[in-house]
Amino acid sequence: MPQVPLNLYLELSAVLFIIGVIGFLLRRNPITMLMAIELMWNAGNLAFIAFARNFIDMSGQVFAFLVITVAAAEAAIALAIVVMVFRRRENADVDDISVMRG
Amino acid sequence: MADFFLGAVPLILLFPLIGAATIAFFGPYAHRSASAFIGCLSIGLSFVLTVGAALVILPLSPAQQAIYAHSNFVGYWAHLPPDLIISFRLLIDPLSLLWMLIITGVGLLIHVYSVGYMASDKNYRTFFAYMNLFVFTMLLLVMADNFLWLLVGWGGVGLASYLLIGFNYDRPVAVLAARKALIMNVIGDVGIMIAMFLMYAHVGSVAYQNVFGHVSQIGTSALTWIGVWLLLGAVAKSAQLPLQTWLPDAMEGPTPVSALIHAATMVTAGVYLIARAHPIYDNAPAAAELVAVIGGVTALFAATIGCVQYDIKRVLAYSTMSQIGYMILAVGVGAYAAGAFHFMTHAFFKALLFMSAGIVIHALGGEQDIRKMGGLAARLPFAYWTFLVGTVAIAGIFPFAGFFSKDAVVDAVLNSHHPWLFVLAVITAGLTGFYMFRLVFLTFLTGAYRGDHEVHAQTERTMTVPVAILAVLSLIGGWIVLPHHDELSVMLSSTFGDARLPQSMAEFSGALSLGLLLIAVAGIAFAWIAYQWRPQIAAAFHRSLGGLHALLSNAYYFDTIYHWLFEWPVLAFAQWLRDAFEVDAIDSLPALALRAGGYFASLSNRWETGYLRRYGLTFVVGAVLLLFIYLFVAHGAAVGAAP
Amino acid sequence: MTVLFWICALVAIATGIWTISSRQPVHSVVGLIVNFAALAVLFLTLNADFLAMMQIIIYAGAILVLFLFVIALLTIGAEPIEQGRGRLAFQTAPSVVAGLAALLIMSAGLRVAWSQSASAPVLDLGSVATFGQQLLTTHVFAFEVTAFILLIAIVGVVMMAGRKELRF
Repeated sequence: MPQVPLNLYLELSAVLFIIGVIGFLLRRNPITMLMAIELMWNAGNLAFIAFARNFIDMSGQVFAFLVITVAAAEAAIALAIVVMVFRRRENADVDDISVMRG
Repeated sequence: MADFFLGAVPLILLFPLIGAATIAFFGPYAHRSASAFIGCLSIGLSFVLTVGAALVILPLSPAQQAIYAHSNFVGYWAHLPPDLIISFRLLIDPLSLLWMLIITGVGLLIHVYSVGYMASDKNYRTFFAYMNLFVFTMLLLVMADNFLWLLVGWGGVGLASYLLIGFNYDRPVAVLAARKALIMNVIGDVGIMIAMFLMYAHVGSVAYQNVFGHVSQIGTSALTWIGVWLLLGAVAKSAQLPLQTWLPDAMEGPTPVSALIHAATMVTAGVYLIARAHPIYDNAPAAAELVAVIGGVTALFAATIGCVQYDIKRVLAYSTMSQIGYMILAVGVGAYAAGAFHFMTHAFFKALLFMSAGIVIHALGGEQDIRKMGGLAARLPFAYWTFLVGTVAIAGIFPFAGFFSKDAVVDAVLNSHHPWLFVLAVITAGLTGFYMFRLVFLTFLTGAYRGDHEVHAQTERTMTVPVAILAVLSLIGGWIVLPHHDELSVMLSSTFGDARLPQSMAEFSGALSLGLLLIAVAGIAFAWIAYQWRPQIAAAFHRSLGGLHALLSNAYYFDTIYHWLFEWPVLAFAQWLRDAFEVDAIDSLPALALRAGGYFASLSNRWETGYLRRYGLTFVVGAVLLLFIYLFVAHGAAVGAAP
Repeated sequence: MTVLFWICALVAIATGIWTISSRQPVHSVVGLIVNFAALAVLFLTLNADFLAMMQIIIYAGAILVLFLFVIALLTIGAEPIEQGRGRLAFQTAPSVVAGLAALLIMSAGLRVAWSQSASAPVLDLGSVATFGQQLLTTHVFAFEVTAFILLIAIVGVVMMAGRKELRF
């Protein structure tokens, strides 16, 4: 079977990444913003693995694995922060937080 | 043994410094008597070491002294390009040893006296720290072997004087007096500095050895200028005309301060300076002439003022000014040994006078006006007799110390072919007898006690013993120079051996001595007549010579003149600047800077909204731009090209 | 293979859009799970067997469950979320424009590279054995550092979770 060309995977990765970016910038719910960030991580993973297959180099896959790990750590800490900040509020809205103004 | 004392010379300098530092840092944590003890101990140790060093150095021949006199404590302190090397060496030749003995010896006596005198003062510990500091800086001044360290000591004694005059800092008068003294002293500092610049310009060094050794290379006019600028320093420090106004005001300081600093030691620094720099003055006759004239005129000037003062300490201050005039006169005519001799005797009897006056002031609870005294001879016998000894000494009555030293000075003036200066000196001698005994009569003898306070006679030994010692020294101190037996000149011969005039004081003119004695006695007699026997004579004089009296009472209006000449313009200018300038122009500048900064900050403030999503958008926009630049601008990846 | 790719790609994109646009956070989580599944299939087509499995287990199985728990924790009140318009002006349009511009730039950059197909695949490229061997020999340092990062995350979360709330 003919292989799927590399840059199709990369285009897909770019599209998924941009979806994540726009999601992050347009949503106000912090949880949803974090999920958009997860989308961006995965888009990057896809690109790494595609390159790994293309150049027959395991480094891409290993790095993707590390990305998963770091994303997990980041998600944990980010969620903890979100919980701390929004625990007693009625609406979880990122635009309510502007203490660092100025 | 000799090596020990020679090696211990730096300690002479260090002990007072360590004493001051110890009292300053640890004094508050101990009982106040500990500070007094340390203060006296440090000076005492320095005195012992000085005596030891003197016993080692003085018997040596001049050639040997030249080898040993320069301490082995050498350090390169500064190397200022291109070729000025300043080292820190201590010089202990007979001249500096004489000053060191007086500074530490009389200083020790005054420190002990202060233990009793200052006992009721709340800043007791600080006083001893300051006094030790003073002794340190004064020793540094006389032990330096180059002009720079002399200047350091010079400034240091000025500082110590400022601290001690203004010791009672809650009295505004004292603070003003301290400031006045400091300002005038600094004027003198500038003079010495300029002299040092000239020395460096001509000889390339400021060390005594180099400057004095190459005096012949410096032209006479340059030498004259150096001598004049050094004289400015001496005039400021020794309170001679025209920078003399600070000394009477300096009496606002405690009596031990007046005794030590403004009688025995600091004010004689000018005399030391000129005596030390005698090679310069020997070869610059115009400068030496100026020195002598200033000294002679000041001596008479101060004596006239002293005749009408009513504050005990002021009279003594003017008499100090007058006697230092004698010393300056002596070194001005080239009689350096005579000037040093008079310095020594004056230290004895002037410190004595101040200290016994202090006993009187203490007994009267602080009263210093002699119009409110009288008849104290019976109630304060110890003070009376010691004060009398001092007065007799200063009047120059045989066989007290002042007789010999004043004779030596006047003798030298006569032999130096300065007839007018001789006349000044003689008249001053008569006036000295007059005003000093006027002081004795009004304070101790005339009639009944006129004052309001109760008289508390004290017998504290810390105060009486030093005074008694000084009384004895005021009697026998002059016997170091007797006809055909001049020990002092022999001692000082290594320093002054190269002076232009022979320095021996053994040849007294009998007629001159007798004449001076008679004139002094005449002055005393006149005072007795006017104040003791027929007091109405004095009162009549005061009424008839009203204008002259006012002139003298106000010290020839020097203070007034200086105020209008110097103080008032500066103050008026400063006030004008403040009113016209500062409020509008200068004070508004910080506000302007504030607003400008705020404006620029507000421009960039708009980005810091605090909203997370805005920050995210900023990221993305920036990343996009960078991506664009990286892909298409920097690396020229054309769209649509084949790889 | 190509068909599989296109199916998974479309699923991924669709669920991605659904994730970011859903009003309910739980719906977003479900969409994300499906997205991860699609990506896992794509990994399989790229000979990354081990990673595909890890994607499912860790990402979909652990992280997204964590998300669910936090959503449960935060929306007890069950108010409709994101009331009204956002407080920022000039956010929507510039974001979309920037995103599309980035996409265009990246696509343009891709057009000039890697249009060719890859060579024939090596069959055990992404197997567990290969992966393990690479991870623990060539990239062991990164492996250790990652472990450390996880430790930091654990400690950080434990510290933060015990605190009283931040008031500001």
